[in-house]
Amino acid sequence: MSGNSAMLMTLRHISKIYTTGEVAVHALDDVNIEIQQGEFVAIIGQSGSGKTTLLDILGCLSHPTSGEYWLHGAHINKLPDSELTTIRNQQIGFIFQTFHLLPRKSALENVQLPLMYAGATRTKQQDRAREVLTMVGLQDRLTHHSNQLSGGQQQRVAIARALANKPALLLADEPTGNLDSQSGNEILSIFEELHHQGQTIVMITHDPLIARHADRCITLLDGRVLTDESTTFPTQPVLQEI
Amino acid sequence: MLGAIFHDALKNLSGNLLRSGLTMLGVIIGVASVIAMMAIVEGGQIWLVSSIEKLGTNLLFVWKKRLTMEEKRMFAGRNLKLRYDDALAIRERFPDLKVAPIVEIDGQVKAGERNYSGRITGTSPEFSDIRNFHPAQGRFLQTTDIHTWNRSVVLGKTIAEVLYGSQPAIGQQLKIGEHRFTVIGVMEPKGEVYGQDRDEMVFIPVTTALRFFKGHDKIRSMIIHVPDRNQMEEVTHTLHQFLIQRHDGVDDIRVRNQGDFLGAVEQTIWTFRIVLGGVAIIALLVGGIGIMNIMLVTVTERTREIGLRKAIGATRKDILLQFLIESTTISVIGGCLGVILGIVAAYGFGNFVAKSMPGGGDWGAVIEPAAIGMAFVFAVAIGIGFGLFPAIKASKLDPAEALRYQ
Repeated sequence: MSGNSAMLMTLRHISKIYTTGEVAVHALDDVNIEIQQGEFVAIIGQSGSGKTTLLDILGCLSHPTSGEYWLHGAHINKLPDSELTTIRNQQIGFIFQTFHLLPRKSALENVQLPLMYAGATRTKQQDRAREVLTMVGLQDRLTHHSNQLSGGQQQRVAIARALANKPALLLADEPTGNLDSQSGNEILSIFEELHHQGQTIVMITHDPLIARHADRCITLLDGRVLTDESTTFPTQPVLQEI
Repeated sequence: MLGAIFHDALKNLSGNLLRSGLTMLGVIIGVASVIAMMAIVEGGQIWLVSSIEKLGTNLLFVWKKRLTMEEKRMFAGRNLKLRYDDALAIRERFPDLKVAPIVEIDGQVKAGERNYSGRITGTSPEFSDIRNFHPAQGRFLQTTDIHTWNRSVVLGKTIAEVLYGSQPAIGQQLKIGEHRFTVIGVMEPKGEVYGQDRDEMVFIPVTTALRFFKGHDKIRSMIIHVPDRNQMEEVTHTLHQFLIQRHDGVDDIRVRNQGDFLGAVEQTIWTFRIVLGGVAIIALLVGGIGIMNIMLVTVTERTREIGLRKAIGATRKDILLQFLIESTTISVIGGCLGVILGIVAAYGFGNFVAKSMPGGGDWGAVIEPAAIGMAFVFAVAIGIGFGLFPAIKASKLDPAEALRYQ
């Protein structure tokens, strides 16, 4: 499966069980997903459907209880923490609902962080950070701190930070959740633009309207994949199930 | 990257100035107390040793040992105490030695309207030579004064001035208690020696002191001059045995030479070093606990930041280093300020002692560069040591949980 160069990630029989006290909760139950390079996928589900757990696994932030996860040919659940850190740094760009910018740092410094952890020199960090901030339209806000930026601008800084190391996968968790609809649309149009340039994007959301911006939509319910369909074509499988 | 981490650490510390300052205060006080304590003990040692060296290398000191109640009961009826006879016996048996017996009387010296209350020393002519302390006018006590219980008195320079001002003192009559004395000499100015102002001394013959003021023959101590300093140990031992024999076999006296005093001082100083150094180091440890406490709070406060940093590629080592550098920065800055405060405190103490303690004029604080280095290294080690646990805690946080920490 890793032989297929177009295949970016493969999840096989992924399960995640949380045990709190004596109760075992199946957050994910036998999830199978394949995502090709260049796809823009929305993972949709209500709270408790397991989408956050899935995000953690896709983002190499935690291991599944069972099943296999391949990313870019690497067997993720066999790798030690230190290599997962490198993969997160090099291959995954995170975008969070709450932006997660460091408060005492400028936009430029925030974007420099993943470059610093990658071991780039200071000059290279600054050059690349300036470049990606320009890509998201913030070339005039380089030295602004997050409290001097609007929500939409903060999220654009976060997108720039996610893009800094040219990751294979952009992983967004409710990226418009804390934004008004206009700023949200700006973010989504950046995603669409990136998608056109060939960037693989996985976006997690609870909002079907937002999911429609993606060209594939995976619906989760109670830790299982309910539907997996292309949004650019009539939704045949759903109709059949109904 | 280390530069960036250090820059971040300074930024975080300055962003929370009051908290960082208070945490630092623990280290500052710890380091300052280590340095000040060391400097004071060091100064004290030098002061004590130089005081003892002023006693003279050829001198022996003999005084009565304090006996316990039990010993007193056990040795009841034997010939105990240090007596004038002992001094005479030593002179007879060891003619090479110069022996000055000493009797002290607290009394009042009156000359007309003027008077002086203080200590009067009963001794023998040898005292002047042994102590290298000579009269400037008139003469010191002589053997005939001793034999005749003469009521002659020799005054220290200050006393002569107090009693007679610029008038000549020699030949004047004065009263010590109820007894009339004639002034036969005034001593040269000598100043303070070993915490005692020599210029305030008053000398009378030892026999006179015993006969008119004491009514017994017990003396306080003896100072003995040994002509050959290479025989000090031997003479000390021989004299001790001789006195034990005279005291019916009871060892109720001490015979000490300068070397013995130096040894005792050395021992005392070490005790001080350990006790004071221990207290200072405890202060420093408490400072370290303060660092640990604040770093644990910082780690908790910045859990989400740690989660984010890990998500975007910070390794455990990166996070560990970040918090370790922050705690070390506190201890390094605190250590520097502590060194400054410690030096100021040590000199302040030195001045205080010089002004307020009798004879403490030469007791300055002595700051050894090694003590500064030691205190500083200790402070930094404490910053690293006590910062390690919070830093490890931070580095071990689960990124997924940390990101969503509320």
